Amino acid sequence: MTVKFQRTLASLEKISQFILEFTRKNKLNDKIVNTITLVVEELFTNAVKYNPENTNDISVNLSMDSDKLIVSIVDYDVEPFDIRQIEAYDFRKKLNERRVGGLGIPLVKKIMDRIDYEYKNRQSKITLEKYLEKEHA
Amino acid sequence: MLKINIIENNEILLSGRFDAAQEEKAMKAFNEIHETTTINFKDLDYISSSGLGVLLATQKRLSESGHQLKLISMNDHIRDVFRYAGFNMIFEIE
Repeated sequence: MTVKFQRTLASLEKISQFILEFTRKNKLNDKIVNTITLVVEELFTNAVKYNPENTNDISVNLSMDSDKLIVSIVDYDVEPFDIRQIEAYDFRKKLNERRVGGLGIPLVKKIMDRIDYEYKNRQSKITLEKYLEKEHA
Repeated sequence: MLKINIIENNEILLSGRFDAAQEEKAMKAFNEIHETTTINFKDLDYISSSGLGVLLATQKRLSESGHQLKLISMNDHIRDVFRYAGFNMIFEIE
């Protein structure tokens, strides 16, 4: 199930509805709905913030493969951005050691079980998997 | 959509979705907090890292004057997000 969303933060509510529709159709529980919503929104927000002048829509694909949910996000006419290369984040830092910002991608990496990245013809594609054994409804 | 309501002195009720689209509006409202304040999450459905960033910036600023945000009545999902981010160690959460 693929939907293209306009490159604006105003799309976040529509993305949330799309995920809800998909997860209801596949009888997934609320915990996975919320987890996937967070992951997709973090990646979409990142794409919007770092390429504000790009006018292309951003594709979000959701699919099921037996015991896992697969999320792909494709961004068009952009520079490569491989989130697997983002430095590890220390989530145990104290308040005075924390800086504001930069939390979204580390959260995605912590939550998801597998992350792949492809970059071809200026298309950036992030594919993420979440295993469902313990989380399926 | 995020709603930010002051329900009594030093208590703020959040409702709706605290996502990146709401960050600017929320930052403006939270910049008006100058002393220890309770943030009531009972009607908040969702928070992303943008929402966490607003809370973190406010907590850092308040801590300089010995104040803090106290967070109450989170749903289980939001509690999980706080735990993933290690925010359960930098906020008082009831």
